[in-house]
Amino acid sequence: MAQPISFIHFSGHQHFRSRLVLSILSGRHVRIDKIRSEDKNPGLRDYEISLLRLLEKATNGTIIEISVTGTAILLKPGVILGGTLQHECPLSRAIGYFLEPIIMLAPFAKKPINITLMGITTDDHDLSADILRTVTLPHLQLFGISEGLELRIKKRGASPGGGGEVQFLCPIVKQVNTLNFVDAGKIKRIRGVAHAVRVTPQFSNRMIEASRSILNRYIPDIYLYSDVYKGNESGKSPGYALTLLAESTTSAIYCAEAISEAGVAPEDIGLRATRALLTEVEKGGCVDQKHQILVLLMMVLGSEDVGRCRMAEPMPKTIQFLRDIRTFFATSFKIVPADISDPNCSQLLYSCYGTGYVNANRTLA
Amino acid sequence: AAQLAAGTHKRRKDWIKLIYNSSLSPEEIVNGQQSTDKSSEDEGDDFFQVKSTHAEDPDVLDQGKEPLDEESLKKWEDEEMLDSIRNLFITGAEAAAEGEG
Repeated sequence: MAQPISFIHFSGHQHFRSRLVLSILSGRHVRIDKIRSEDKNPGLRDYEISLLRLLEKATNGTIIEISVTGTAILLKPGVILGGTLQHECPLSRAIGYFLEPIIMLAPFAKKPINITLMGITTDDHDLSADILRTVTLPHLQLFGISEGLELRIKKRGASPGGGGEVQFLCPIVKQVNTLNFVDAGKIKRIRGVAHAVRVTPQFSNRMIEASRSILNRYIPDIYLYSDVYKGNESGKSPGYALTLLAESTTSAIYCAEAISEAGVAPEDIGLRATRALLTEVEKGGCVDQKHQILVLLMMVLGSEDVGRCRMAEPMPKTIQFLRDIRTFFATSFKIVPADISDPNCSQLLYSCYGTGYVNANRTLA
Repeated sequence: AAQLAAGTHKRRKDWIKLIYNSSLSPEEIVNGQQSTDKSSEDEGDDFFQVKSTHAEDPDVLDQGKEPLDEESLKKWEDEEMLDSIRNLFITGAEAAAEGEG
């Protein structure tokens, strides 16, 4: 493989977060250029710079150089530090944008992380605080990261004003477990969180009722919770959303979410979220598409054994991520149809030999 | 639904080869190989003539959620469609699996 001095080179602004994460985990230096160089407004966006600042805070010895025009960066990663941190997220992106990479790094930090992020908790681009709490974190548990893992939604903040606040606590591990998750099971229960801030709390109930009108036919174990945040805890802008998740007998989790939109009734938001959930359920597999990258990453970092996971077809960004993984870790996945006998089954079986990644940052106890 | 099934059947791809041994962009792999030419639609009036090689589209966000596709959600308005996934729930009879798989 290349010497540690050499840079891995990428072009373009896409896949920015996953490349930074891979760089920090692997310790390989990265150079990304041509960041929106052809755009009318070239260079890094404010949220990307904010993310770089955040990564700088969460690590020690990281060197980030940004070119004058902002269209190229150089990242020489340091060690992942963790500890108690605070970060004010710009209102151009939701907290999920910043928390996703942190979640990927936190288990391998020197100290358990305790980070408070302020900003927008739910928007239509990034995983909301609710999905991160109820779906993303359980995915980490698959890899043996569980004790003390928590996301607290202290305040909610809708777009555009924000004003939300979440606290993320993550333990550190020496190594992650090898995943062997090939049986998706059958769905045994459905959970949901509806919230409405700075609007009448009745909207929550209306979304829940609409959602139930579809879901009640399937299983009796449905619990949709109306999460009430008032006053200072409800942020600066009005908004509401319904987050749904379906859990299978083998703990596969599918999730979907719909958020308020001007001129659309809460009932329709509820229906939208519900139908999106059914779409995820239909795609099947053990991990939903929103979490493909997280799971694949942890599989690569797993102990030196073959990890397996059944999932739906990769999304474009997953494909690029698989290519990037090979660049950083020289590991490729074996991807074969999960069920050869069934021509209608589009699910795939992803397997790879773990790199046996060991958390070298961890303070020896 | 028949059309849907035919679609998935036709698209049995060699993922390993496509991902690791081809120069196709991820979007091209997922959507099939037809290079979606956007050149025809934005001719003329754009002073800045944004060189849009698909993958370089500055509007593409690095985001955790995919936007909900209103059109594809419409299929769930159909009772038959709703029933077709019953077998994925613990309460669903195994017999229902014959129809859709």
